[in-house]
Formats: sequence, structure tokens, C-alpha cells
Amino acid sequence: MKFSDEMLMAYADGELDLVTRAEIEGAMAADPEVRRAVERHRALAARVKSAYQGVMDEPVPARLASLAGGPVAAPVADLVAERSRRAARRAAPAAWAFPQWAAMAASLALGIMVGVFVMRGPAAPFEETPAGIVARGELDAALTQQLAGSLGTGGPQVGISFRDRGGAYCRTFHVQHEAPLAGLACRSGSEWQVQVLAAARAREGGLQPAAAMPMAVLQAVDAAIDGEPLDAEAEAKARDSGWQPAPDMAE
Amino acid sequence: MNAPASLEDLRGQLGELLPRLRRFARVITRNVQDADDLVQVAVEKALARAAQWRPDSRLDSWMFGIMKNAWIDEIRARRRRQRMLAPEEAGADVGDASAEARDIALSVQAAMERLPEEQRLAVALVLVEGQSYKDAAEILGIPVGTLMSRLARGRAALQEMLGEAR
Repeated sequence: MKFSDEMLMAYADGELDLVTRAEIEGAMAADPEVRRAVERHRALAARVKSAYQGVMDEPVPARLASLAGGPVAAPVADLVAERSRRAARRAAPAAWAFPQWAAMAASLALGIMVGVFVMRGPAAPFEETPAGIVARGELDAALTQQLAGSLGTGGPQVGISFRDRGGAYCRTFHVQHEAPLAGLACRSGSEWQVQVLAAARAREGGLQPAAAMPMAVLQAVDAAIDGEPLDAEAEAKARDSGWQPAPDMAE
Repeated sequence: MNAPASLEDLRGQLGELLPRLRRFARVITRNVQDADDLVQVAVEKALARAAQWRPDSRLDSWMFGIMKNAWIDEIRARRRRQRMLAPEEAGADVGDASAEARDIALSVQAAMERLPEEQRLAVALVLVEGQSYKDAAEILGIPVGTLMSRLARGRAALQEMLGEAR
């Protein structure tokens, strides 16, 4: 009896009923060609599966973990991964040293800033003040009110929150204003001062939520952060207290 | 907001499922960035439709269906805009495999990336995610026979690209 390749594939995938299975096993015993075909299917299946096994071991990005909740609650997963990747790069002979990254981040930020200055008017999410760029409008509202991982409504979206070395609260954000931007803002008095802005990857349609942080922003976070980002509880607490600097920096 | 009592339960289960959702997304989008965006969209959709989820049904199949639909919508939107699909160079990371294992993994991934969308979806669901033919067909909204023929064609193409004797 001749079995189609699809049938042998289904056998290799464990999809056939008992009787057909027995028939195929008979054919395999009698015909090495049939046996080889089944082995090819099995080997390919194992190969394809193992090619993607690496994803399972990657840390889950914070924006996903905080959204879905559950035991994967590793709020800093991609930051930690980013740091270890950077550490690995530093260790390697040809690695880019820190100052180069900083310079690159700065030049990226500068390029965007030129554009930002044009963004004026009542709806602009930024304003240039003597103290620097501060968040305004819906961005200011989002930074003040929104908890990370809350369902986006198309407006600005807050990423992670943390305390900087001076005890001030800082938050990363994505905002769409003429171009998709991502940045870091730190609380100063009653305002959010924007520390860095960078072009976020252009959104191309259906996938509306925030993209992962651009390197320039991750770099700024890494330079400013004291310890680890806030977990959901600490973040809610900080918000409820109006983002006043933490008086006690002890662990 | 009158969230159903099982919303937290759903969130917890989604949390456990995240690595698999990311893997599936990586296979179908072929791009790390798009993959995580897709997972985020799907999780948001799932939470918004929590009432539709029956706790006794399989969450992974439900999620894969949501992801597949969101991705198809995304592709159509991109095509409408006459934009290029995900850039070639944005290859996926393959974790901490040994150098040799990584070479193999990359060549499999490179071959997977060249499969037509419908074949890649079939291969992703059955071979990578271990869904049964019946579940995979349901997720894709096609008859089992069609699923099998896409899967068989996808495998044949992979085998050819990976240089294995037929």
C-alpha cells in the first residue's frame, strides 16, 4: 500500500488514528523509503521547533509582563537584558564604549529637539522653558496620572517608572506628535522635565501601542536610574503621593 | 468598569503564556520589534474581550487566533499603504545557543522567513507551538485538509531550502 506524503507527515505528527498508524508502521517495516520519509518529517519538525527555542528563554519585556501580569512579573526584563548586552559589548574588544553611546544618544536627542521646538501651540506635548523642555498637555497628564501598562487609548503611553539618584521620580513615555517619539521625563517640582527624546520606530497601522524604547532612551534610563524600576505597587503609591521626591533613599 | 471576576485570572494565565506568545509572534512576524508589538496588541485585545474567554477552553489556541487575525490585519494595512514588509536585516535573536546550534537555528529561521504567509502560519502552529491539526485549522479558520496541504507544502519548501535530500 502506498501512503501519500501528507499521510506520512500526519503520522510523524501523531495525528492518525490507531488503525492507520498500524498500517503505516507496517509499511515502514517493509519499505525503508517509507521509513526515511517519516524520519525526515520528524527531523524537520524537531529542527524547526528548536530554532525558536531561544525565544522561550529570553526575558519578557517589561511592557508585556506588566500588561499581562502573572508570575512573569519581571518589571525590568528588557532593561536588565539591555544592560547585560551592553556589558557584554563593553567586555568585547571591538565594543562601543559608553561615551560613544552617550554621544550618539545626545546627537539623536538633539536632532529631534530641533523638530520639537517647532511644536508649539495649545496641543503641543512639550514646551521649551528656561529650565529645559517640560511636558505639557496630554503628555503631562499621562505622566502624572497613567500607570505603566494601563491599556493605551492612542494617546501618550508611559513605560517604566523609577527613582533617579537624587530621589526624583522619572518615567519613560511614548507620544505621537507629528512623529512617533519616545523619551524620559523626571519630576521637578510640579512639572515633568524631559531628559531625552528620540525618534521611535514609525508606526505603520494596526499595531498602535508603544514600541520598545529606542537605544537613546534606554541609555538615559541606565545613566539615571538608582536601583531598579518601580513595581506596580510602588508606582501607584508614588502617583498617589504626587510624585514627590522620596525622602528616604534607604533600601 | 465592571471587569469579570476572572479578569485577574486571565491576566495571570496570559503572563505565564507570554514566552510562547512571543515565540509564535516571532515566527509569524519575522521581526523582533513587530513580534512584541503583536503580543502586546493581542494581550490588550484579549483583556478587552475577557468576557468571551471560557476558562475551560484553551487559552493558547484563543490567543493564537487573536494574534493571527491581528497580524493579517496589520499586513493588509501595510500593503494598503504600499509599504515594504518587515525589513530583512531585522533578524531574530536565537538566545544563548552554542555557535553551531545558532548557525543551524539561523538557517532554519532564514528558511522560515521565505515561506509564504499561509504556510508559515501552519508550520508555526503545528511544528513550533505543537497545536493539533484540528486546533490549528480552527485558529486559521480553514478546513483540516487545507491545513494539511499548507503544512505539507511548507515542510517540503523548508526541506528543500535546508538542503535535505528528498
